[in-house]
Amino acid sequence: MERTGSGINWKNLALLTLGVAGTLFWIAQAPASDDAVFPMPSGRLYAAECGGCHTAYAPGFLPARSWRRMMNELADHFGEDVSLPEPERLAILKDLELLAADNPQASQRMRRIAASIPANAAPQRISETAFFRFMHDEVPNHFWRRKKIGSKANCGACHIRADQGRYGEREVRIPPAD
Amino acid sequence: MRAFERSMSRRAAGVVRLALVLPLMALVSVDMARANDPRTILDAYVAQAGSASAARGERLYRGKFTGGRTAESCTACHTDNPKAAGQHVRTHKGIDPLAPVAQRDRFTDAAKVEKWFKRNCNDVLGRECTVQEKADFTAYMISIR
Ligand code: HEC
Ligand code: HEC
Repeated sequence: MERTGSGINWKNLALLTLGVAGTLFWIAQAPASDDAVFPMPSGRLYAAECGGCHTAYAPGFLPARSWRRMMNELADHFGEDVSLPEPERLAILKDLELLAADNPQASQRMRRIAASIPANAAPQRISETAFFRFMHDEVPNHFWRRKKIGSKANCGACHIRADQGRYGEREVRIPPAD
Repeated sequence: MRAFERSMSRRAAGVVRLALVLPLMALVSVDMARANDPRTILDAYVAQAGSASAARGERLYRGKFTGGRTAESCTACHTDNPKAAGQHVRTHKGIDPLAPVAQRDRFTDAAKVEKWFKRNCNDVLGRECTVQEKADFTAYMISIR
């Protein structure tokens, strides 16, 4: 007749169910790989000003010195004039520096990106960094020429959550051949 | 009988709730109409330009120009059909349709409209657009059904 707390009783069963449900939920929520998630600036300024013409690139793909140089040359941005009012320019630069590949809180992967870029270089193209080439060496050349892709810098064409900084394997959909 | 009473009182509560919510909704929708109606943006351009012609706007949309460095026409990125999605000729990023009938948030934010007129007129014409051109272009986009 006596029951101790460790047997099968309703309380333990409920706890067990809760635990399993919680774990499943946690697994479902967890990104494919934490490392493939890059922090994005909060608020709408960055997406509005830097995500209109192309993917709003995650700051963690380049070191702060690259972003500083870019934000100093907005009047000739790859041939486009993308000048901003000074307060907005400074606000975006601050976000970029805060989340850049070499920021003190950077993830493992971001730190590896930072380490792969020579200290005297401030590359402006993510799509030409060694890291980018390494990550995409299995993508056949003709893929980049597909109409919906068109450019290596069109991250969002394949990485469907690129605007949230999510580049995990499970969030890649390559547009079909034309 | 009791069920009937209950349903009546539930209905009464529903009416009261509706009476409370309706004016609120009306208020919100008036406010949204003010902020979000492409007509407001057209009116502001017309107030400066004096008039607007959708036909002239369409000629601007379809015209070929040589002044800009990015593209020779608006259609290069936005396609021949303003109701269709386009693609940036340099970055290849997809672009939502321009016509408000196909893309509800188009021509609803005056600052955004000004910003892109400035950029894209430079890209295509090699100069900023005049107020007349902006009025015509906006009239054309709104006229599309
Ligand atoms: C008016 C359009 C426009 C805006 C706005 C714009 N860019 Fe660009 N950006 C371009 C173009 C065009 C290229 C070059 C595309 C090409 O040649 O592949 C480019 C390229 C880039 C690249 C290099 C991509 C790569 O890896 O090859 C980065 C990084 C970049 N932009 C960041 C920014 C940032 C940050 C902002 C906001 C301050 C911004 N862009 C705003 C048009 C724009
Ligand atoms: C042709 C479509 C395509 C484009 C465009 C593209 N990628 Fe990728 N990317 C891939 C594929 C495929 C992989 C490999 C997926 C995998 O196995 O993880 C990948 C992998 C990655 C990874 C590693 C993800 C992980 O799970 O570790 C990163 C980071 C990444 N891409 C960033 C970018 C960035 C930044 C851009 C734009 C500058 C870009 N990609 C453009 C297709 C693309």
